[in-house]
Amino acid sequence: MAKAALESRVKRTAGSAIKRFDREAPRGGGSFTYIGGGEFGGKAEGLATIQKTITDSIGSGKIGETTVAIPSLVVITTEFFDAFMERNRLWETVALDLPDDRVAHAFQKADLPAELVGDLRALAHGVRVPLALRSSSLLEDALQCPFAGVYMTKMTPNNQLDADERFRKLAEGIKLVWASTFLAQARAYRRSVGRNDRDEKMAVIAQEVAGRRYGSRFYPNVSGVARSYNYYPAGHARPEDGVALLALGLGKTVVDGEPSWTYSPAYPKAPPPFNSIGDLLKHTQAEFWAVNMGRVPYDPIKETEHLVRVGVSEAEEDDTLRFVASTYDTNSNRIAAGTTVRGPRVINFAPLLQYGQVPLNDLILALLSACEGALGGPVEIEFAVVFDPRNGVPADCGFLQVRPLIVGNERVNVDESEMERADTFVACRRALGNGTVDDLQDVVYVKPGEYNRLSTAAIAAEVASFNDRLVAAGCAYLLLGPGRWGTTDPSGGVPVKWGQVSGARVMVEASSPEHPGELSQGSHFFHNLTNLRVLYFSVSEGEGEKIDWEWLGRQAAVDETRFLRHVRLGAPLLIKVDGGSGRGVIAHHD
Amino acid sequence: MSTKPFNPFAVAQAQFDLVADQLELDEPTRHLLRDPIREHTFAIPVRMDEGSTKIFRGFRVLHNNARGPGKGGIRFHPAGSLELVRALAMWMTWKCALVDIPLGGAAGGVAVDPHNLSSHEQERLCRGWVRALAAELGPNVDVPEPDLMTNPQHMLWMLDEFEAIHLARIPGSITGKPVNLGGSLGRREATGYGVVFCVREALKELGLRPEKALASVQGFGAVGQAATRMFGQIGGRVVCVASWNQADQVAYSFRKEAGVDAEELASISDSFGGIDKERASRLGYEVLPQDAWLEQDVDVLIPAALENQITAENAGKIPPRVRIIAEGAEGPTAPEAERTIGGRGVVVVPHLLANAGGVICSYFEQVQSNMNYYWELDEVLGKLDVKITAAYVAVSDLASARKLPLRNAAHVIAISRVADACRARGWV
Repeated sequence: MAKAALESRVKRTAGSAIKRFDREAPRGGGSFTYIGGGEFGGKAEGLATIQKTITDSIGSGKIGETTVAIPSLVVITTEFFDAFMERNRLWETVALDLPDDRVAHAFQKADLPAELVGDLRALAHGVRVPLALRSSSLLEDALQCPFAGVYMTKMTPNNQLDADERFRKLAEGIKLVWASTFLAQARAYRRSVGRNDRDEKMAVIAQEVAGRRYGSRFYPNVSGVARSYNYYPAGHARPEDGVALLALGLGKTVVDGEPSWTYSPAYPKAPPPFNSIGDLLKHTQAEFWAVNMGRVPYDPIKETEHLVRVGVSEAEEDDTLRFVASTYDTNSNRIAAGTTVRGPRVINFAPLLQYGQVPLNDLILALLSACEGALGGPVEIEFAVVFDPRNGVPADCGFLQVRPLIVGNERVNVDESEMERADTFVACRRALGNGTVDDLQDVVYVKPGEYNRLSTAAIAAEVASFNDRLVAAGCAYLLLGPGRWGTTDPSGGVPVKWGQVSGARVMVEASSPEHPGELSQGSHFFHNLTNLRVLYFSVSEGEGEKIDWEWLGRQAAVDETRFLRHVRLGAPLLIKVDGGSGRGVIAHHD
Repeated sequence: MSTKPFNPFAVAQAQFDLVADQLELDEPTRHLLRDPIREHTFAIPVRMDEGSTKIFRGFRVLHNNARGPGKGGIRFHPAGSLELVRALAMWMTWKCALVDIPLGGAAGGVAVDPHNLSSHEQERLCRGWVRALAAELGPNVDVPEPDLMTNPQHMLWMLDEFEAIHLARIPGSITGKPVNLGGSLGRREATGYGVVFCVREALKELGLRPEKALASVQGFGAVGQAATRMFGQIGGRVVCVASWNQADQVAYSFRKEAGVDAEELASISDSFGGIDKERASRLGYEVLPQDAWLEQDVDVLIPAALENQITAENAGKIPPRVRIIAEGAEGPTAPEAERTIGGRGVVVVPHLLANAGGVICSYFEQVQSNMNYYWELDEVLGKLDVKITAAYVAVSDLASARKLPLRNAAHVIAISRVADACRARGWV
């Protein structure tokens, strides 16, 4: 299979800019190379597909004065993963079902394939910029199996003076990405989509991190995720106008669902979706991620070993806020673009979106259009922009990823009368998704009286345990509870990872006033929800929306723990979400 | 395998003379480099298991140490001769200089067939060898390593004897030790891997992809086994392997068109790399006459056994498809044969370069032992790959620029470095 993949690649890449890695060739300048003859994996294939498209669509490789390119990368193809697993007998280790840290450690102790290390050493010698070691698995980013956020990305500053040390960090990072194929979350996810461990193979992309160094921090000015379809259009915007989410610093802020700036590219100057300035200040990005270029405690199995999260005030010292922030003027009670006055900062990208100091929105629109054309349907893209903090232009846009989106076309009608029927135990006006589910009988829910913000981590662990049992039994279920599912903020909801809830076909969130509005559309969690067609109800009880906790409490429990209750109903629920109106109902047959 | 006598040192000196002329070396420098600077021959009395005493003849030659302490193998072979050891030492000087490691060249051995000795007798022989040379060995003087029919256990006995004499732990005085007792990870496979790294680069230059390349290997000791394995790992296929049969006192070639399985053959081989022909046959290998390995319709030949195996007599049997001969052994291609095959455009990667992986890894082991800090396998093999590839590129570039065969280009680089070192030290 490896030879067939290589033959295919040689044909496809003949005459293109994608070449075999050459130790002697100069690095940088958007080079796209590969080592080995195996598969590229989903992420790398997506980038390979889009590389030519970007160049063709954008012609000179520039939009205005902004250069657009995929940051230089090397794909370590799947044949090395296969060799690594076989020669180190790691399939036997995987079969032992060890805890995640033991698995990761076993992978660290294993030897890289000898036929790979020479090229890796050459890479370590020749490259002195921060690198992101990104997963690119066979199953990843497929339309029906997004695997978003399931595997790890390891960043290394790659600035050590000693080439041996740079090589070691490179080797550690690759082994960690390979290990993440077999951590609990990933295995649970695969089971939930009907895949086995052996179905998966992992390529690794070693890619230059887009950004600039500021003292001991390295980060881009703007990172973002943009989608050509908006599941929560607001105001005049239509779903087809798309949505963009922007953050200062590394894109981890967006893909982990942390506070970022959301807007419709069709209306970049539209007023913010907040009821008050107070709300805006409360929900603006307060921290950002950067690569830590300094010394860190050694922990090769920690994904964030070389990352640091700091307050936006640090960006002020780096002089990187001027193009992305506005300032709240307490005297006038207004938000003024830029940072020339003193006051609380709001990361709303007004200098870019309102005043076009860098043509960021034009860039996003052009990229979305090009990618939709190339993939033949709605897409999600990730990008990072670096510009001169003094002048803004010229800027460089690093194109990082493209994924297809699933947009459901089934016509489902939920009219207002269904929201109030006696047999409707959940009614919601801001449901995500579109479709009907009529075969779920299992409900796992957080007992409302037991939920508290200090226990959300423990709740997540119990959810994971229920999920594993139900997935093993082949039972999809409805998950229901207070707070935001999948949040990274343990005080705002239950911080589950996708693999811990992979068996849930429907999720219901009993929203709290502290967390209004919709899910962050740029997050991995959101991506998995939509592409796996998991219906998500965000219920604000008492505002024409409801959850009938009493009815739920009367159902006999199959299993119960401190925080959770599992009931199995005598008849399946009828679950409907009307993607057009956003109305969703869950009805029982009692 | 060919057992016709030939004078390897004469061959080595002839190679030197040719390059010395090209470099226009002055007479004193030529004189200094043309012969070893020091030689020892000595008797080793060994008490045999049944009580008798046998006297074995040992050798150690230091060719040149201008660039660093002497480095070189100890071989046990019944045909061992001083002429051969001189050649090996000289080649080692050039080899270390070519790959730019700070070592000189040495070699030694004992004229013995270790198959005919018990384990205890081999131990006494090893210890006797060290006792004879104790004053002339050490991490700053001369550092032996394994060679033909010597192995890590032999090295460990020798180290133990040396340390007992010097009343100290000096792990850097001998390399090729067992991994758990001061040896370097990667040492066993380094020579064979290095051969294939050179083949990989040669294939690139010829525009041939490893995935489409076939190879045939002579010798299934450490070098042959590792080369067979690595050739498969870079995507190629080894279809024939030849090895010595001690019982029959002849070599056989073992062929499998679908590709030999290195692990499978290793499992039916003795510690000297001799493949069991009956078991091989049962596993589906064709058992062919000894020279069949170089008659195979392949792209790459890897002689990894003894010197003087591709000769004027058998060079004509090499098929036209063969594009690369990578010398895993010391001096396996006779000069007359090389003229024939060179004329056909076959790229001969000289042993100076192709089998330098072993001495590179020996150097790594020395460094690790001297620091008493040992590297991970990734680090050893990665450094090995980069170092030998860099050496290949340098040789290839010079060969291309001056329209020289690779062997000449390798010698030019190596000899000029040693000559420069001798001059810098004020020796000439």
